[in-house]
Amino acid sequence: MPPRRKSTDQHELVERPSRKRPLPADDPYEVPDEDDAIPSAKRQRRQSQDGGTLSKRNATPRKQVDFLHSDLASVPEEPESPTEQTPSKKRLGRPPKALTGGTPKSKPSTPSALRKNLVDDTPVKLRGLNGVDTPSRRGIADRSARRKSARALIDRVLEGAVSDDEDEEQQIAREIYESSEQEEEDEENTQRQESLADEEADLAATTPSKTGRGRGRGGRPPGSATRRKKSPTPPRDLPPHEQYFYQNKPGSNKTSNNTLSSLDLLTHEEYFSLLREPGLQREPHEEQIQALQSHHAASFPQWAFELSQGFSVCLYGYGSKRRLLHQFAEYLSSSEGQNNNKIILINGHHRTLTIREILTTISLAVDPTFRLPSGNPLAMIQNLFSLLSSSAPKPAARITLLFTSLDSPLSPTLRKPATQSLLAHLSSHPSISLACTVDTPDFPLLWDSSLRSSFNFAFHDCTTFAPFSGGGPPLGGPVESGATASNEMDVVSEVHELLGRMGKRAGGKEGVAFVLRSLPENARKLFGLIVGEVLVAFEEGGGSGEFVGGRGESPGVEYRMLYNKAVEEFICSSEMAFRTLLKEFHDHQIITSHKDSIGTEYLSLPFRKVELESILEELMS
Amino acid sequence: MAESHDDNPALFEDDDHRAVYIFTPAGHSGLPQQEKARPVKRRKVTSKRASSSVAAAEVVQEGEAETERTQTTTTTTTTTTAAAAFPRLFGGKESAEAAELRRQVFDTAWPVLDGRIKNVLREANRTTLEDVSSFIRDAEGDATRGTRIPAGFIITGPNIASQDLLFEQLSEALGKATQARFVRLRAAGAPNLKAALKKVIRDATAQVSIGGGGSDGDEDAEVAFGRDGRKYLDYDLEGLHAFLSAQQDPSKRVIVAFEDSEAFESSLLTDLLALFHSWQGRIQFSVLFGIATSVELFQARLLKSTARQLFGAKFDVVQADLVLDNVFKSAIAGTQATLRLGPTLLRNMLDRQRDQVAGIRVFISSIKYAYMCHFYANPLSVLLADEKSLTRQLLQPDHLQAVRTLDSFKAHVEAAVDARQLNHAQSLVEDDSYLVKQMAEQRLKKQDYLMQLLRSLHLLTSMDLVPGRFTDLYVSALAGGLDLTPIIDAIKRLGADDVPALINRLLTAIQTGSPDLDLPGWEDEAEDLISSLSEIRDEIEALAEQAREKGQQSLKSKFTAQSKVLRTTVVAQKVQLSQDTAKLTEEDKAFGKAIDSLVDLLTHHIYSDPIDSLFLHEAWAYDAEAPYRDVFVPRPGTTFERALTRPHGYLGCECCSKTTGTLSATLPTTCILYQLYLETGSLVNVADLWSAYYALVGEDSDVGLGEREALVRFYRGLAELRMMGFVKQSKKKADHVAKVKWLL
Repeated sequence: MPPRRKSTDQHELVERPSRKRPLPADDPYEVPDEDDAIPSAKRQRRQSQDGGTLSKRNATPRKQVDFLHSDLASVPEEPESPTEQTPSKKRLGRPPKALTGGTPKSKPSTPSALRKNLVDDTPVKLRGLNGVDTPSRRGIADRSARRKSARALIDRVLEGAVSDDEDEEQQIAREIYESSEQEEEDEENTQRQESLADEEADLAATTPSKTGRGRGRGGRPPGSATRRKKSPTPPRDLPPHEQYFYQNKPGSNKTSNNTLSSLDLLTHEEYFSLLREPGLQREPHEEQIQALQSHHAASFPQWAFELSQGFSVCLYGYGSKRRLLHQFAEYLSSSEGQNNNKIILINGHHRTLTIREILTTISLAVDPTFRLPSGNPLAMIQNLFSLLSSSAPKPAARITLLFTSLDSPLSPTLRKPATQSLLAHLSSHPSISLACTVDTPDFPLLWDSSLRSSFNFAFHDCTTFAPFSGGGPPLGGPVESGATASNEMDVVSEVHELLGRMGKRAGGKEGVAFVLRSLPENARKLFGLIVGEVLVAFEEGGGSGEFVGGRGESPGVEYRMLYNKAVEEFICSSEMAFRTLLKEFHDHQIITSHKDSIGTEYLSLPFRKVELESILEELMS
Repeated sequence: MAESHDDNPALFEDDDHRAVYIFTPAGHSGLPQQEKARPVKRRKVTSKRASSSVAAAEVVQEGEAETERTQTTTTTTTTTTAAAAFPRLFGGKESAEAAELRRQVFDTAWPVLDGRIKNVLREANRTTLEDVSSFIRDAEGDATRGTRIPAGFIITGPNIASQDLLFEQLSEALGKATQARFVRLRAAGAPNLKAALKKVIRDATAQVSIGGGGSDGDEDAEVAFGRDGRKYLDYDLEGLHAFLSAQQDPSKRVIVAFEDSEAFESSLLTDLLALFHSWQGRIQFSVLFGIATSVELFQARLLKSTARQLFGAKFDVVQADLVLDNVFKSAIAGTQATLRLGPTLLRNMLDRQRDQVAGIRVFISSIKYAYMCHFYANPLSVLLADEKSLTRQLLQPDHLQAVRTLDSFKAHVEAAVDARQLNHAQSLVEDDSYLVKQMAEQRLKKQDYLMQLLRSLHLLTSMDLVPGRFTDLYVSALAGGLDLTPIIDAIKRLGADDVPALINRLLTAIQTGSPDLDLPGWEDEAEDLISSLSEIRDEIEALAEQAREKGQQSLKSKFTAQSKVLRTTVVAQKVQLSQDTAKLTEEDKAFGKAIDSLVDLLTHHIYSDPIDSLFLHEAWAYDAEAPYRDVFVPRPGTTFERALTRPHGYLGCECCSKTTGTLSATLPTTCILYQLYLETGSLVNVADLWSAYYALVGEDSDVGLGEREALVRFYRGLAELRMMGFVKQSKKKADHVAKVKWLL
């Protein structure tokens, strides 16, 4: 798979700035030091040749590293990948003495925009980055060396042909250019990215989507090897905060204009029918996931003990922990001789989950005949507590809450501080214990120290790798395999929502049918009208998605025209009524509207043509 | 354990669509179905209704069964302890009795400590509580007050975790002391005036009704309080007034505590205070403010007119550090502690308290967790049982085998060999009964060690010469032993007046022991020490007397700084420095000797070995910091990152083990997407993400997934990324998502 090879090459190349900051201990892209050593060694020699003051070089710790590495300069470099077309291959076994060649090949040429950028910004940024560097004589010499080498490189590229004897010089030029470039790489990338990303975007747009991988790091299709080796990739080893600022700089968000329009997105039907196919039936790591699961299950007694001692158990880590929690529920109810323990399962990923529902269920578990008056949740909790303490004949009924996804980002209310503090209050009651799972990596931020101490959490790493969405359709339907799977989310809706492809809950054409059934006759007629018009527009416009800015799937219909037609068909008599009808559709997000540049309003439907046709059929029948 | 859980996975699918439900174990479905009068849940699916009504029925049955079983149990700990037994260790070979005994030891050991800790906490705030109650009580009779509202400003400091406890105690204490209704308000629970009033009225009326059993639980918008049956809106203070009148409460006092007063909006505070003020004639309102910053800052937020309505007093709270020290003394260092926590763990816990301001409750939880770990997982913890219950039969060969594998056993035997006690060493290794006898002896040795340690510490601290806190001293004593060296100089430098005072302090310390540490006085055992100390004291006093008679100003010893004189002489234009001992009188010399003997004496008596030098210390000392760190200071970022970048670390599969940090088609989908995600900028083009993914796993690759199949996986992976909060919807460009996480 050539594309991947390519990108690993690039990793090695962009590795160089890593010396600026400590690598994460186990950086996946760590490259042996020899690779680093060569350019820096060259630089050092070049600098001593410049008569640069060595003492100044020691100003920054990074440069001292260069010195250390200089011993390794003679270590041969790693062979480059065969796909690499640039002359860098020649580096192999090149005698070190050639370095003294310096940069003689510096014939004047017209400064390109690229070079200007680089040169203009350098001194300021240099200081900004290292903090200690002063624009010394050496620095200036460096810059001019770099300028020359840049020029040489550009010339080379322009000329295209590379003769053998020139290779070496060019190589040196390249190295000088790159080695000094490292210093300002962070800052400079913006400019280079600006200039290169455009080209790249063009490139990516012209290549077929399978290979044209215009991800930020710029997968270059083969053949563009004449371009400079450095990709506009941000340095990979920036600490996260730096990377954040780097990536959020205005103008740095260059992504390709590819869309998924060429791809047939999955529908619910297709998704679930595909899931039944043997290839997807089997998870690749099924056995390992099972093993992991049973490994975690071995600590059930421990968790039970912790719960009994007034701790809340919190399970975190990647993978669905729902199944595990269910097993834990099984364990709790089977192993404990204690009959008074009632277990309540709560699914945090449910969008409809409310704290009231939880409280009501708890009160039912304590006393099925008791009706917890609904009202302010705080008041309900107080009532519940008094119920717990006052249920005199059966003292201290123990309630165990098993809460999946306590931090679920899908739930609209769960992550709110008010909800969390209510839950903390709930779990701090002596006869209520809580075991929960959390799915996001940032869950500790949900609780301040006060909440955390009332939760009294004991955390456990329960990485399960179990998929969040399992083998079966979400409602009913037997599950043939995938014992580790659970349906915690509706994958298709999730993804489509993420892509802005579909209305929130009225999913697919079933959703539309469902919504329309609940609407009056007029509304149904109107929707039929819109669908018809949109289909006509499809025919006329050739189904180009661009009509609505590439967002929706269908072309837009002009609002005015639609209104007139609606009046003609006696669907509504005033614009007011028309708007009211449309609002209903908007609320269910089965239509979208937008205005074009001159203010004409267009209505469109977020469905594909096939879907629209079947909707229309259903409406007509 | 693990094997019992591979039940039918389809079992739960029924309940998937329900957000909350009562769990019905699979095994119980065979129970006779009882028809309940009304459905438990208002759900449409009928099968659900049947199953949950079964659950409800069981609830009733279980409840009845429970009545016979638990009569005396009231607290949580005791109800639950009966049930869950400790698992058997030694790979299941441990006898059930031994496991049970461990459980018992834990059950007896922890409550003792718990009680002590609670006591300490109560004591810690006692003076504050008393001050506040007397202020509130006296404010009523204070003529200068006028109609102003009594207001207590309690400076709690920034640690909100400890505030909770304080206000709990306040509500207890003030309720008792002043017969007042106590209402606690938190900013989160009272966002506006109406909500605050509702809460005030509800809490003030509820406190009595629960006790009196008058609560009907029917919370409507209108509540009837008075005898005349009139109804009031539930945010109408008139209702509260009527209620208080109906309760025949002469004082009609209500105390409202604003726990985090900085978090309240100042306009809300102003409104509330104005309202309270206007009701002052009918209901005696008093207010308390928990203040994290300073009263001045707080006052600056209030209107002048509001401030004028307050009749305030300021109270300080014991700072968290001091409370921590006290808890430490009683629960960790004190003689009551069955289990000794080791120095590494303690240092960790203390550091966390200091660095993360974790709150005293977390600290207590940590202690408890250490106890739990020790008794749950260490089979040798059974040795902590008292002699009666720890019979010879209970000790299995496995126990002895375990003892023989201990580091401390090894060290002990080696020491014996070095000391040429070969028989002893041999018997230890070979003779079981000999080993058992030795283990029994160790029990005494442990007692002696602890006594020695605590007494030494107590003496040291009572000398008032040691810098640093008790906690640090204790931890370093456990880690590296203890002796007098650090303060020898300080003692030597003491003047003639200070030494007798010092000795007196030591004597008192010996007599009274330390109540904090629960250490009784040990006069009887330390007769030698006491007499020697008194001798030295008498001698020095006599010497001082003599010196005074001779006209000498004060006794000097050779150690005191003044006795050394630095002389500078200029010889041949060079400065020469020389030290010279000043002339010492006879008395001075005797004094110096006395001090020497004091130091010797103390050195002899104040010492302690590191805790891990003791044979069998593993049975009664717990020093593993890993469980503590894992359980209380989770590092989810690392965990997630490890799982997503190097999944084989968890899965242990062949296929992915070669790919450390690089992409490979065999990786789980989410891991691949995560790696690609790491390389993206702040906007992610999903189309490109898809093509990158498909290029990796598609038909040309090793895995060779079809497009649709790959798409299904891609969907799943993307949905999971969203679920974990890595991406969110972006409106900036079509088919783009926004990157949300940079730092894991």
